[in-house]
Amino acid sequence: MGQTIAEKIFSRACGRPVQEGDIVYPEPDLVTTHDWYVVNFDKVMQELGIDRLHAPHKLLISTDHEPVATSPLAAQRQRQVREVVRKYGIEHFYDVGRGGHGHVFPMEKGYVRPGMLVIAYDIHVTNYGALGCMGIPVVTEISEVLACGNVWLKVPHTVRINLVGRLGPGITMRDVAQKMISVIPVDAADYAAFEIGGPGLASVDFAGRQVLCNTPIEIGAKTAFIEPDQQTLDYLKGRTTEPVELIKSDADARFHTVIEFDLGLVEPQVAAPPTPDNVVGVSQLVGKKIDHAFLGSCAAPGIGDLAIAARILKGKHIHQDVRFFVTPSTYEVMSQATELGYMQTLIDAGASITAPGCGVCAGGKIGAMADGEVSINTGTRNDFGRLGAMNSEIYLASAATVAASALAGAIADPRPYLHD
Amino acid sequence: MTNWTMNGRCWKFGDNVGIDGDMMPLEFALKRETNPAVLGPYLMTGLDPDFPKKVKPGDIIVGGKRFAQGNPHIQGLIGISAHGLGLVVESIQRGSYRNAINAGVPFLPACVGVGELVQTGDQIEVNFATGVFINHSRGTQMQYPPLAQSQLAIIAAGGWRAQLEARVAAMRAKG
Repeated sequence: MGQTIAEKIFSRACGRPVQEGDIVYPEPDLVTTHDWYVVNFDKVMQELGIDRLHAPHKLLISTDHEPVATSPLAAQRQRQVREVVRKYGIEHFYDVGRGGHGHVFPMEKGYVRPGMLVIAYDIHVTNYGALGCMGIPVVTEISEVLACGNVWLKVPHTVRINLVGRLGPGITMRDVAQKMISVIPVDAADYAAFEIGGPGLASVDFAGRQVLCNTPIEIGAKTAFIEPDQQTLDYLKGRTTEPVELIKSDADARFHTVIEFDLGLVEPQVAAPPTPDNVVGVSQLVGKKIDHAFLGSCAAPGIGDLAIAARILKGKHIHQDVRFFVTPSTYEVMSQATELGYMQTLIDAGASITAPGCGVCAGGKIGAMADGEVSINTGTRNDFGRLGAMNSEIYLASAATVAASALAGAIADPRPYLHD
Repeated sequence: MTNWTMNGRCWKFGDNVGIDGDMMPLEFALKRETNPAVLGPYLMTGLDPDFPKKVKPGDIIVGGKRFAQGNPHIQGLIGISAHGLGLVVESIQRGSYRNAINAGVPFLPACVGVGELVQTGDQIEVNFATGVFINHSRGTQMQYPPLAQSQLAIIAAGGWRAQLEARVAAMRAKG
């Protein structure tokens, strides 16, 4: 019997052949964590009496959930993070102003390659799947990985997604990714590795691949990654000197479920509260008044998200009752968007630009919402209270739908702005 | 825990039992409360306000599909452990599967159709190491997939933190 990509990555990381369902202790190639969780893991190390990490050179820390400290407490925590970094000799530390969003910039900087195993604190590490890398979140158990080098993991079964067709006019990969998690049965998604390939994948750009790998975690998947291809090689050219192998599942590998998914959706998709898979066509929500809009997060990671918003808002001004926050995912993306004039267009339209990182999506530490307010944004989740008041409402949508809605002061279909 | 068999009353719940609200008030997750003595009195009160007063150690919760679904907070699983209960479910969301092990709860994670074999109040016996499930009230027996030995070892140690302390101590002894 052949192996899936997931089984191949686990087998290499375990140093022996393993298969779906095995409980194993694989050695990760990279470990990631963020912000104040660094202080928490240091506390566990102290309680355990450990003064050095198992492999500090494999640990990458990003200051992205609250890059610009917004309180004395946050400033104090940031100082503690810097002390912890020095204490353990952690070289891959990206403080405020250095990298940006920790689910995105490590790919730009060549840390992530096809076939790697990354174990992380935070769930959206699955963005690394855009390069055929398997990112797996373990939350608090990351302390065991840092202390001992690994933690138990179950080798996941694989749900294979074959993309077919092409994006329709005015439709983005965010619309596709939201629709995809709303139609895949949750029983199939639980614990699964999503392996995404098929003839439609070639037309999906790098940011779109990140979004496809970002959303499945919301319906219980363990991880998601694309089958790496020529575009992966092109992206990594000049970003890494390490060898790059295009890992593939064997022809006789066992997939738990195979799903064909057509990129050719008929209309933009919006996730209504309180879950990201509660998805409807935008036409069902058009006209719903909004107070708050946000473009950013690891689910809107690319230059294309800023480009499409700038295209819709060029020469116009957002609605007077709306505040609109824009957070470029990384410094590389912000720099590129500035060169291309997108940032100027967004500023002229009335957007508030914030430092690269997670932006408003990290629990509303900046740009929070008050009682009864309504937001449309490109964040990852829409639980009640996530961005502030428990009775505020969050609708999730593409950068295009968010920009069109900020302009209208109400949820709007972006397609009229996107005719060629 | 060296004896993996529990013999007690069945407490049956349906599909999609939520980790926050159904199993445990959300406020304890937000406060990061992990003390079993604090959490025990609130277990399952979102679905049955008297549940903590009715259950006895050795009783077994039988859940449906997607048990403990939602944002994977550990508090509800610590609540189960606080009462010394076992857990048998049709399926359990990944984060809660890890949390059940981390909280030291003996459980069977994949018991397809188990909900149709029991009613609340039935006398049931479960061996969590072998997966043998017996309903004494109905005279039926089933075999379900048990956890792996390495996962049972974490539960036997008393959960994740106790296991981690033992692992670090063993590493240190080896040098």
